[in-house]
Amino acid sequence: MNVLVVARWTLLEARRRRLLLAGVVLSVAFVALFAVGFTLLYHSQERSLVDAQAQVTGPDSLGPRGELLALSTVLVVLGLYGVQFLAALLSLFLGAASVSPEVDSGALHAVLARPLRRLDYLLGRYLALVGLLTAYVVLMSGALLLTARIVAGYQAGDVTRAVGLMVLQIYILIAVSLLGSTVLPTLANGVVMLALFGLAWLGGIIAFIGTIPPGNELMANLGTAVSLLLPADAVWRGASYHVLPSSLVAASAFTDQAGPGLPFASTAPMAPAMLSWALAYPVACLSLAVAWFRRRDL
Amino acid sequence: MSRTASPDPRPAAGPRPLPAGPSSADPGPGPRPLPAGPSSAEQAEPTAGTRSVVPAVATSALHKAFGRRIALHDLTLQVGAGEVFGFLGPNGAGKTTAMKILLGLVAPTGGQALIFGRPPTDPAARRRVGYLPEHFRFQEWATGTELLQFHGRLAGLGTAERAERIPELLERVGLAGRGGERVRRYSKGMTQRLGLALAILHRPDLVLLDEPTSALDPVGRRDVRELVRELAADGVTIFLNSHLLTEVEAVCDRVAIVNQGRVVASGPLDELAGPVVQLRLLLDRVDRDLLALVGRHGEVTRVEGTAVTLAVDTLDIAPDLATLLVRSGYRLFGLVPVQRSLEDIFVDLVGEVREQ
Repeated sequence: MNVLVVARWTLLEARRRRLLLAGVVLSVAFVALFAVGFTLLYHSQERSLVDAQAQVTGPDSLGPRGELLALSTVLVVLGLYGVQFLAALLSLFLGAASVSPEVDSGALHAVLARPLRRLDYLLGRYLALVGLLTAYVVLMSGALLLTARIVAGYQAGDVTRAVGLMVLQIYILIAVSLLGSTVLPTLANGVVMLALFGLAWLGGIIAFIGTIPPGNELMANLGTAVSLLLPADAVWRGASYHVLPSSLVAASAFTDQAGPGLPFASTAPMAPAMLSWALAYPVACLSLAVAWFRRRDL
Repeated sequence: MSRTASPDPRPAAGPRPLPAGPSSADPGPGPRPLPAGPSSAEQAEPTAGTRSVVPAVATSALHKAFGRRIALHDLTLQVGAGEVFGFLGPNGAGKTTAMKILLGLVAPTGGQALIFGRPPTDPAARRRVGYLPEHFRFQEWATGTELLQFHGRLAGLGTAERAERIPELLERVGLAGRGGERVRRYSKGMTQRLGLALAILHRPDLVLLDEPTSALDPVGRRDVRELVRELAADGVTIFLNSHLLTEVEAVCDRVAIVNQGRVVASGPLDELAGPVVQLRLLLDRVDRDLLALVGRHGEVTRVEGTAVTLAVDTLDIAPDLATLLVRSGYRLFGLVPVQRSLEDIFVDLVGEVREQ
């Protein structure tokens, strides 16, 4: 019950601090930009391919359909990468701003003097942020995928899993920054969280380079090790696999034609072990946050 | 919760346990004249939930260290239900730390604290407690009414109860019509008034006030004194942290003076003032002969201009002293018995400790 009271209070705070308004305005702008860019690029490419086909008769290896599909895929993956990046930054900032500023200002003293368990306070904060950002990710990625479908007839391999994993990334990031927020002052936590996030991203790139033929096992393992520290990028890569259209994945046309693929997307599904770790990660972070915060002097 | 409990909340059996300190002897009843209640019935065994028997606040050998700095050494206190208790001490004496331990905000490194017989970390124990924090900082993005709604929900008040109670409280603390404004726009005094409303929102049985008038003007201070008296009349226990001695003198039944994390004195105000009786003499002049003369009848404790304060064994010497002074050629404008003020006691005790 108290969890919901705190969650509701957190949502009111987001509204009062104009976070919701800013989020909605930025999101609408982002989606509009994507829609315009996607439509223009797709149609100009379509036209030039039709022209080229008029001059050169006979089927080429990929065909205009395949090239258009590859273009759509790259654009959709890029667009969703933007969405998950924005959502990730929002998660880190909102998580970092959820506990420590109230501890520092003393606004939490009167609240925690109520018959409110610290566990419930943290869970309420977490629930509200997770709810906000889940809505953000679902609406934004839904809008992008819908645009691609309408304009180019694009069909992602598995929309539910793709969006589900993007949402899992949010859970992970909010949990880790909430943990940081119970331990560190706001600014220090923000710095640590950005560094961790950057490191996870770098881990993904290192692992990607490791997979470029002929392959480098050491780099791939190093990348995986970094991902264990914060499995955010790994989860995004898992999501990106499900964004690819199934036909493209089956034919491996994307990887064959465009070299090793995109550096920030994956052409292989997420390893089950990494997925399990990613699912356990937010639970572990929250448990640590509660354990620490319960003992903390305010 | 019903307020039908006896107006005399003190445990009648035996002397009250009191903290160690120079004047820890506290044999008699408190100074507050209370109507006789069915107190004899309360000597029966303490039953759970009987506020008259379980002390509102009890700490024993409470110790708190922040790293190397020791905020509380060995704090042993007991505040009976219904008492107005003043917790006095210079800045940094450990008053706020003690209060935070009583709210479960800070964990002690030793000893025990209980509110109504339960540890403050138990949320159910905190249900009966209201708190005004020292710096009265609240979420500034919210309006006063929103804050009261939020705290009301956390305290377990229903929708109808909140709808009735909140406007009434805003009125009571002098914020009528201002509930819709954001706390950011409030002045310091208004914020502190809002803090008082939050503290008494759920009709608590124990109210902890940490420097409740630090941001208030004289009118605001008087309002707070009245509020404290009203709460006390309703049987609410008040635990007041303050270094404003006049305030404490005006409202408290009993005080404890802390310094450097220890209680250095505690008891009812008039007992703390001690049996020492002083006479204040207002004369036309003060010279060495006069000091020698009055020195034979008591100890001169203070000379200010032509006023002399004399500590005497008994007030009975006053008429003879007056005659003596007049006969010796002094003109006597006044001769008044004075009790030591809380400030005198405070400065004596805290000063003593500091000098050590």
